[in-house]
Order: sequence, then C-alpha cells, then structure tokens
Amino acid sequence: MITFENVGMRYGMGAEILQDVSFSLEKGSFHFLVGPSGAGKTTLLKLLYLAHRPSRGLVNFFGKDLATVDRTELPRLRRRIGIVFQDFRLFDHLTTFENVALPLRIKGATKNQVADHVEELLSWVGLEDRMHAKPATLSGGEKQRVAIARAVINKPDLLVADEPTGNVDPEMSERLMHLFVELNKIGTTTVVATHDNTLVEAIGAPILSLDKGQLKLPNNDKAGH
Amino acid sequence: MWGRTLQFLPNAKDREGLLPWVIGVMLFLCTLAVASAFAINSGVARWSSGLTSNITVQIIVADEAARTQQTEAALRLLEATPGIVSAEILASSEVMALVSPWLGDLPLDAGLPVPNLIDITLEPEANINIQALGERLRATAAGAVIDDHQAWLSQILDLATMIQVIMTAVVFMVILSTIAIVIFGCRAGLATHADSIEIMHLMGAEDRVICHAFDLKYLKHGLKGGILGVVLAGITLWLTSSIATDLGEGLVSSVLPSNNGNVWLLLLPLAAAGLTTITARLTVHRALQDMM
Repeated sequence: MITFENVGMRYGMGAEILQDVSFSLEKGSFHFLVGPSGAGKTTLLKLLYLAHRPSRGLVNFFGKDLATVDRTELPRLRRRIGIVFQDFRLFDHLTTFENVALPLRIKGATKNQVADHVEELLSWVGLEDRMHAKPATLSGGEKQRVAIARAVINKPDLLVADEPTGNVDPEMSERLMHLFVELNKIGTTTVVATHDNTLVEAIGAPILSLDKGQLKLPNNDKAGH
Repeated sequence: MWGRTLQFLPNAKDREGLLPWVIGVMLFLCTLAVASAFAINSGVARWSSGLTSNITVQIIVADEAARTQQTEAALRLLEATPGIVSAEILASSEVMALVSPWLGDLPLDAGLPVPNLIDITLEPEANINIQALGERLRATAAGAVIDDHQAWLSQILDLATMIQVIMTAVVFMVILSTIAIVIFGCRAGLATHADSIEIMHLMGAEDRVICHAFDLKYLKHGLKGGILGVVLAGITLWLTSSIATDLGEGLVSSVLPSNNGNVWLLLLPLAAAGLTTITARLTVHRALQDMM
C-alpha cells in the first residue's frame, strides 16, 4: 500500500536526516517506529503523512508515485491518512465536537452526517459528555482521545501517530494503545512512533527502528504484518 | 463554524484588529477626492453652460455719433441672426457700473469714450460660428468686437482639469496603499495562523477552503472599514455643502459638493469590501502555492 525505496531527506542545504530508507507497509499492518531522539522519526512521519516530499528516492502512496503527484491531487491522498500529533494540535477556539468534525466538513459531509458520525465516535473514545468542551478545559488524555477521534473520523487507510502516549499517564497510554489496536483490527494500516518500550513489547507488532537516519528492521527483513 | 464557509480561523481580535480602521481612513480620503473631482466637474459644467449661452459685443469707437450708429447697425444684424434669442444694448448706467471698480463712481456725462455693449443670449442648442458672426459684424460696424469668454473659460477648464487629474492620482494612490496594507495584513495573518493552515492542509483541505476562510475575514474588514470611511466622509461632505448653501449660488458654492446626487457613496463600502476580499484571495492563494 505504501512503499519507500532508497528515500533520502534533507532540509534545504543541511545534512541528510534520512538516508536510503526502504520499507513497505501492507494494508492492515501495524508497526511501531522507534529510535532515539534525533534519529529522524519525526521526519519519516512527516513523509508518511505527506507534509513533505522526499529529497530523493521513490515513495509510492496507494499506488501513486509521489514524484508524479500534482499538488492539487494531494488533498485527496491526505484524506486517506489520519494523523495523531504528540502535541494534539487541536483548534483551541473550537469545541471537541467541532474539532472532530473538521475532516468530515473538509470532505463536504452534510450537517446530519457529521453529527451522526462525530457523536458515535466520541462515544467510542469515551468523550460523549465532553462534546461541547473546548480543548483548554480537557485533560491531556482527553485531548489525545479527541485527536485520535479526529484522525479516524474519515476511516483512513493509514493512521500515523507521533508519540501518542507521550503526554499521558501509563493507564491512559494503555487505553489509547487499545484504541489503535481496535482500529487496526478493522483494517487501518497503523504506524505509531513511540519511546515506550513497555507498550511495544505489550503489543508485539513489527518495529521500524531508526538510528542516525537509517532504518533497521530487527523483527523481520521486510516490514509487514 | 457551520456556515457555508468552513471558518477554522479564530474570531478573536488579533493584529488584524486595526485593519478596518486603516481601510476606513483610506476610504475617507478616497471619498473626499472623488467627491471633489465630481463637484469640480459639475461646477465647470455649470459655468461653461452659463458662459457659452451668453456672448457680448463691444462697439469700440471714440466718436459718440458713429458709436451709436454702429451699435444700432450691429443690433439689427444680431436680431436677424438665427440662434440668437435676444440682443440688448446695455444702458450707459450699467456700463459705468461695470467699470466703476477700476475708475470709481463717475457721472454719466463725464465725457469718457466708454464702448457700447450689446448683451446677447443664444439658444441653448444654437451652433453659431462666432468667428463668422464677428466678420459679418465688422463688415456692418467696423468697431464691433465679440467677446465669447473663451480665454477665461479655457483657463478655468485647464485649472479644473488639472485638479481632476490630481484627484484621480490621489484616488489611485489611496487604492494602491489600501491594497498594500491588505497584503501586509494578510501575510501577517498567514504567519499567525500558519499552524492552523498546515493542519487543515494535512487533513486534506484544498486551497480554496483556506482561501474562503480568509475571504470571509477580509470581507468583514473591508465592509467595516468602508462603512466607517464613508460615514466620516459623508458627514464632512454634508457639513461642507451646508456651508456652501449658506454662501448662495456664487462661484464658490458651485464647486462644492451638493447634498443631492451623493448616492454613489453607498456603493463605496461594497467596493472596499470587494477590493480587500480580492486582494486577500490573491495573496493567500499565492502564499499557499509555496506550501506543499
């Protein structure tokens, strides 16, 4: 579904952050992305959620070579990707409901469709009673669940999460990871970047390990579930 | 949030809060310049129509008997000329009144060789060849000279044209300044909301969704500023024209804006809103093109 071949990435004229990264993600797979700080995890995630194009190498998303994809085609590809940011990146002036509804509204869903989906999803993440609360009044765990709900409201083909448990307590980490596993079970390809080895071991999914911009595949040679 | 436009930008007052005021000041200046240009245009039209429908014939002959004879001959010719509504010889007292500012109050029998004057009123649409009429008059009365006020009128028209050109330049400069201010404001807005725009892009929002959000914001700024500027300019014009009305129908009042016919002012806030919205749209669209 997604293939990276000899991908290199540098910002401007700086040193290469990623070097010769090659892997593929099969549909419905679950991967952890691990590595020390500065290894290039965030850069790789940015490539995965189409925030940047690589400096070199081949990237194939859903059967399309990214090098040949026009800028105007990117929104449609991006709607197939859900993103959970470490710092949530919720809109502070919007309510929980409005934040989660954004991807559907971008897609052009009607008000009724949005209401049905958002209420159902907020109930799934346990936030049905916080629907009209603004992010400033939510706890870290609640914000992260809002971010997850926003990421999955469009039923994405690929879910990318950057340290989703970084700002929550261990109990909440476990609950959040449970949500990701549930999503993966219904066919969403999932990549979770984390420093939390306990979670990695508990889930037991394949690992993409980055070190100094280079990818190691310790669990198996070719990433895939 | 639930309007036709996906408004993801916060409504909180930010650095753009001053923008409607700046647009208001620009529109105030613009309105005054346009009103002045219109008023001068109508004033000049009124002067020229008044002056072109009247001409004067002077009979400049030193000998009084010959002057009287030539005056009567010229009057007969003028009365027989098509396109002339009336031709009247000015009484000596009226002629002396005309020269009194320079010569003082002189008695009628002072013995000065003052020319006889014939005041002629033309038909409004009369197309009389003044030069040909002058030649015919001189053939009848050798001392006849036509004054059609063209020299004075052309100087006034030149002055009015120059003022209108200056006012037009002022309007253009104000429009360009407004565009520049909106561009700067828009860029500041893009920088302020860069994070929100990036998230919207990453969620799959097309450029037009983001542009619409800015359109709506700048439409409001333009309308607010436009209404503010036009209200201030309207008050200024009303005060000025009230003073002009007190002055009566003189030279000064004819170039001041009138209270009537200023309905076009109501269109200016819409024009300001259109200008700011289009400028914002182009600025945001261009900036988004540089993003992935």
